[in-house]
Amino acid sequence: MIEIKNVSKWFGDFQVLKNINEVIRQNQTVVVCGPSGSGKSTLLRCINGLEPFQQGEIIVGGVKVNDPKTNIYKLRQKIGMVFQRFELYPHMTALQNITLAPIKVLKLSKKEAEERAMKLLERVGIPEKANEYPANLSGGQQQRVAIARALAMEPEYMLFDEPTSALDPEMIKEVLDVMIDLAKEGMTMLCVTHEMGFAREVADEILFMDYGQIVERGTYEEFFKNPKTERAKDFISHILH
Amino acid sequence: MFDAVFRNFSFLMGGLLITFKLAACALAGGIPLGILVGLGRISKNKWIYYPVTYYVNFIRNIPLILVIFWFYFVMPIITGSSIDPFPSAVVSFIVFEATYFGEIFRAGYQSISKDLVNAAFATGLTYSQTVRYITVPIAFRRMMPSLITQSIVTLQDTSLAFVIGLPELVRRASIVDNLEVRSIQLFGFVAITFFIICYTGSKISRYYEEKVRKANIL
Ligand SMILES: Nc1ncnc2c1ncn2[C@@H]1O[C@H](COP(=O)(O)OP(=O)(O)O)[C@@H](O)[C@H]1O
Ligand SMILES: [Mg+2]
Repeated sequence: MIEIKNVSKWFGDFQVLKNINEVIRQNQTVVVCGPSGSGKSTLLRCINGLEPFQQGEIIVGGVKVNDPKTNIYKLRQKIGMVFQRFELYPHMTALQNITLAPIKVLKLSKKEAEERAMKLLERVGIPEKANEYPANLSGGQQQRVAIARALAMEPEYMLFDEPTSALDPEMIKEVLDVMIDLAKEGMTMLCVTHEMGFAREVADEILFMDYGQIVERGTYEEFFKNPKTERAKDFISHILH
Repeated sequence: MFDAVFRNFSFLMGGLLITFKLAACALAGGIPLGILVGLGRISKNKWIYYPVTYYVNFIRNIPLILVIFWFYFVMPIITGSSIDPFPSAVVSFIVFEATYFGEIFRAGYQSISKDLVNAAFATGLTYSQTVRYITVPIAFRRMMPSLITQSIVTLQDTSLAFVIGLPELVRRASIVDNLEVRSIQLFGFVAITFFIICYTGSKISRYYEEKVRKANIL
C-alpha cells in the first residue's frame, strides 16, 4: 500500500504539490492524468524518494519514505520505476542494463542475474535483443527493456511516468500490452498516462491532477461519464479530441 | 642534412625526455585536479562554486607564459626561497591545465541527464555505485576525445618552459644551435618530432570519437 498524507512541495516559491492525500491499495492499478506541468512526475519522484518534500508524509509498504532513519536505497528496491525517455544505460547491452542492479544490489551471481534477465526479456517479448545496445533498439523495445530492468529487482510496486508518450504510435501497443499483463497479475501500479484505452481496461481508479492538486478521483466510468469539475471536463474533451 | 642533429642526438633526446616528464607530471596532477575543479564547477555550494569559478576564469584569461614566469620569479620573492625550474614549471602547468581539464569534466558530468541517474537510483543503486557504474563510465567515454586533445595541447605547451631555462627539447635545440648555427635543421627536427607525437595522438583521439559516435553514446 502506498499512503500519501498531506504532502506539499515547493520549488522555491512555487508550490508544485498542494496537500495531496491519496492511498493506492495493494494490487491496485491507479492511473494519474492531468495537464502538463501539473506535478505528476514530481509526485512519482516523491514516492520513491528521488525528490524531497517539505510537508506531509509518504508511507510505502509500512515504511516512511521521508524519514531520515529509513534506508531509502533498500526501500527503492521494492519500487520499480519506468521513465518517459526510457533512460537505459547507453554503455551497456540490454542484458547488462537488466542485470546491473540484481548483481550489485541483490548480490546475485552473474549467472543467476542473467537467467532472471532472460526470463524477463522473454516476458516482454524481445529475448533476441539481449546483447544489443540501447542505440540499436527501437523506442518500444527500449521501453520494454526498461520495464524488464525494473522488474528484475522483483519490486512490489511499479511507478510509470508517461511510458508511451515518447513512442511512435505503432509502438505504443507493445508497451501497453506488457503493462496490462502486469496489472492483471496483480502488481500494485501507479501510472501517469493519457492512454485511456489502458485506463479503461485495467485501472481500478483514475486520479485527475491539476495545478498540484488531485482534483478528482474515481473509476473510469465515473471520471469520463460524469466529471465533476470544469477542469476535468475541459481536459477530457482535449484528450478525446 | 641532419648532421647537427645526429652529432647531438642524445643531448636532444634528453631534452625530449624532460619534455615528456614535464607533460607527464602536468597530466598526473592536472587531470585529478581537473576532476575536482569540474565537480566544483557544478557544485550547489556557493563556498565551493564561486572560488573555483573565479580560479578557472582567472587562469584561463591569462597567457600560460605569464603563469610560468609568475611562479618562477614571483614565488621566490614572496616565500623568500628560490625554486628549481622543473618543480616550478610542474606547478604552473598543473594549475593551468587543471582549469582546462576541469571544464572538460564539467561538460562530461553535465551531459548525463538527471533522469538517467534517477533511473539508476530507482533500481536501488547507491550514490557511489551510480557514480562508479553509470556516471563516470559514460562521462569518460564521452570525454575521451577531448581529454586526449587537451593532453596533446599540454605536451605542446611544455615547450614554453624554456623561458625559465628548463632544458627541454626546444631549449636544448637552441643551445645546440648556438654552437652549431644550424637553425633550420635543428628547429625543423624539433617541429617534426612534435608533429609526429601530436599527430599520432590526434589520430587516437579521432579513433575514440568515431567509436563513441558509432555506439551512439554521445
Ligand atoms: N527541479 C525543478 N525545479 C523547479 N521547478 C520544477 C522542477 N521540476 C519541475 N518543476 C516545475 O514543477 C511543475 C510540475 O512539473 P512536473 O512534475 O514535471 O509536471 P508534469 O509531470 O505533470 O508535467 C512544472 O511547472 C515544472 O516546471
Ligand atoms: Mg511529467
